[in-house]
Amino acid sequence: MLNQEVLKKFASILGPERVKTSQEDLLTYAYDAYVMEYIPDAVLFPKSVEEVSQIMKVASAHNVPITPRGAGSGLGGGSLAKRGGVVLCFTMMNRILEVNTANRYAVVEPGVVISEFQKEVEKFNLFYPPDPGSATVATMGGAVLMNAGGMRGIKYGVTRDYLMGLEIVLPSGAMMKTGSVTSKDVTGYDLTRLICGSEGTLALVTKIVVRLLPKPKSRRTLQAIYNRIDDAGNTVAKIIEAGIIPATLELMDKMILKALEDFAHLGLPLDAEAILLIDVDGDLEAVEKQAALVADFCKSQGARDVRVSQSEKENEQLWVARRSAFGAVARMRPTCVIEDATVPVSYLTSAIKKVIEISERNRVQIAVLAHAGDGNLHPLVLCDQRDKEEMVRVEKAMEEIVDYAISVGGTLSGEHGIGIAKAKYLPKQLSGTALEMMRAVKKSFDPQGILNPGSFLEYAA
Amino acid sequence: MIAKEIREEVHNCIKCGLCLTPCPVYKQLYFEAASPRGKVQLIKKILEGKLEPSENFHRLLFTCLLCETCTVNCPSGLKVDRLMKAMRAELLQKFGLPWQKKMLFHLLVGKRLLPFFLFWGRTLGNPLLARMPRSRKLGTIPYSKFPRLNRKPLREQYPEIVKVADPKGRVLYFTGCATNYLFENVGRSVISILQRLGVEVIIPREQVCCGLPIFLAGARQMALQNIRKNIELFTGDDVDAVIVDCATCGAALKKEYAHILEEMGESPEAAQTLGRKVLDISQYLVRFDLEKHLRPIQGRVTYHDPCHLLRSQGVKEEPRSLLKGIPGLQYVEMAGADVCCGGGGTFQWEHPDVASGISSKKVQSIKETGAGIVASGCPGCRLQIYGNFGEESVEVVHPVEILAKALH
Repeated sequence: MLNQEVLKKFASILGPERVKTSQEDLLTYAYDAYVMEYIPDAVLFPKSVEEVSQIMKVASAHNVPITPRGAGSGLGGGSLAKRGGVVLCFTMMNRILEVNTANRYAVVEPGVVISEFQKEVEKFNLFYPPDPGSATVATMGGAVLMNAGGMRGIKYGVTRDYLMGLEIVLPSGAMMKTGSVTSKDVTGYDLTRLICGSEGTLALVTKIVVRLLPKPKSRRTLQAIYNRIDDAGNTVAKIIEAGIIPATLELMDKMILKALEDFAHLGLPLDAEAILLIDVDGDLEAVEKQAALVADFCKSQGARDVRVSQSEKENEQLWVARRSAFGAVARMRPTCVIEDATVPVSYLTSAIKKVIEISERNRVQIAVLAHAGDGNLHPLVLCDQRDKEEMVRVEKAMEEIVDYAISVGGTLSGEHGIGIAKAKYLPKQLSGTALEMMRAVKKSFDPQGILNPGSFLEYAA
Repeated sequence: MIAKEIREEVHNCIKCGLCLTPCPVYKQLYFEAASPRGKVQLIKKILEGKLEPSENFHRLLFTCLLCETCTVNCPSGLKVDRLMKAMRAELLQKFGLPWQKKMLFHLLVGKRLLPFFLFWGRTLGNPLLARMPRSRKLGTIPYSKFPRLNRKPLREQYPEIVKVADPKGRVLYFTGCATNYLFENVGRSVISILQRLGVEVIIPREQVCCGLPIFLAGARQMALQNIRKNIELFTGDDVDAVIVDCATCGAALKKEYAHILEEMGESPEAAQTLGRKVLDISQYLVRFDLEKHLRPIQGRVTYHDPCHLLRSQGVKEEPRSLLKGIPGLQYVEMAGADVCCGGGGTFQWEHPDVASGISSKKVQSIKETGAGIVASGCPGCRLQIYGNFGEESVEVVHPVEILAKALH
């Protein structure tokens, strides 16, 4: 528990309105989109780097655990106060500070919602590609600390690939800058990319500089419809092998299709075993050529039909539906745990088969969704967390999926992060030496261990 | 007791957070307990017996416009608004109603009090309003921008049956309180258009307030006599439709009555029968070929979607198509036409800071269209938009008022 003296100090920095300690406030910061809950002792809402710095000075002086949080759409408990203390919530620090068209970069505060930032830069005919499924909820700060990926990974990469620089606050309260606004920069260690994906264990991000691209002039969304999920998987590997680079390449199985159709009523093919949702973008002419090429290609791999959307509105509807997949499956069962294991893309079909086999053997309901072009599986494990016996089987199935991914050279988590959800698997992938190095890095940033304590490194210890 | 099917829903919230960014209230306050997800999770704790409903929770529960944006955006299909409404009803006994609401609701359910109040309102209130200092506000709306009471309630201006020769249709007209007491021109427009189209209009004299402000505040029992009375009055006749010019009354008659009765353990059958007959006036009018009755009028108009019309009733295209069909009139769509105006009934005086933040965005979108007229079929939105527009002149009207103006 926090003592009154510390709370008073926080209130003198932020004012009483932005220091929340009511039971209702604490309970609503006890969860994210994962299944675990940890109730914090206070929730603070800074609006400036100076406030963040002062908060950290108090926190380090009193050894108060601080866990940063954006919108709380994370899938692994990364932003929960595992050891109590303060949740430092950045949603009120949410200005877009600059969109620099001459040098094609932008500067934002961490609380800006990703999709709102994307919309803003589009007004300048610019483009910020990283596009996690939760982009309409998640914040830029959260995306940086989790190195969020998403649907455009196959062509455009992930958050890390667009980061140019950061302003950060260390646990001691010291402020510093990393990186710059130039497209090349080899001055010193690349701390920008170290902070990115650190899950809030090293430093707090108070300003973010990202690279922007010119906005593609057009795009088309294709739905390739398959009677066999294997054919869909094979198509993906073949597309990559053939050197075609779509902007997105998503796979959904029939359970996902059913859930999305119930929600969005788009006329999705409910009798299909899987579909690939494919975006191609670029200049109009090139897009049309590529769309035709991809369509033929899918058909040659066994797609029974390929539908090309006729308007931007139709594109948008399909992607809104795709973004809703996680929530929509809750129509089937109350709880959904998303797996995030990722395999080299040539293993995609065998990985899907493996997931189906694991699901059947453990009598666990799994819907298959994947950022297929990246080999990034998102098996959605449907369950009811109130059923303890079922949850044991769920846990076992998830571990088997992870084991399989690692056995073929893949990774524990493609983009959701380790948090607490996967902390116990960490030694499966990282050697003792690797873990030791990571702990040393952690120690050099946060010697007292007050930033996001209880997170992945400590969990495995 | 909250109905079982609604209780069970809290377990389907997967906490994805897709309801956060679209929520107008969350977008002003930016803390979780103000968001739909936050409120659902708190209700879940209460239902599980892990949280005692506190004053603070009660306040949060009413820090909500009931605009239903979360419900339509929820991929898991949670009917968030119904959960909140049921919870409000559940907590009524513990927290009661604020005195202002109690007074207002007594007026709305009482037959004797209302005429008395309205008489004094007209004789004293109207001139008083004109004398109020310009800067004084009720919630977010300056007194100077409040409408004056009709000199005579609309229903007293017409016979109970407005006959036409050789009728081509026959409707029951639910006038609602706003049209009856405040915006008589809306009612006159409805009737004149229907007369022109050869539709006989029956205006049941005994109709009472739809009760929605009362039952959305949780006072379901208090609203019950109004609900029953209206169901009785509007299910008897053999008519094409029950038409409503107010989005809110429409939502009440079309679906809320049945929900409430069902959740209170009564048979919703009669309410459902009524619900199937109810049409927003725009839905009824698009059935006709209006063009031949219209002459060109000048002006630039934009349209604002009332929550209770768009999300509660699913009416989106009909009012737009009516406006677009008026010759000479220029129609411009505003950005975010479907976003709540911030009024939310009594919300705007309970939470003026939040409401004015939401309204200023709406006003901004309207100004960007360059339109001098805003059309919207909801008296609440009308008050809120007009009241928050500032010094610049704008006309906020019901689509039927423009239509009636264009009749030749």
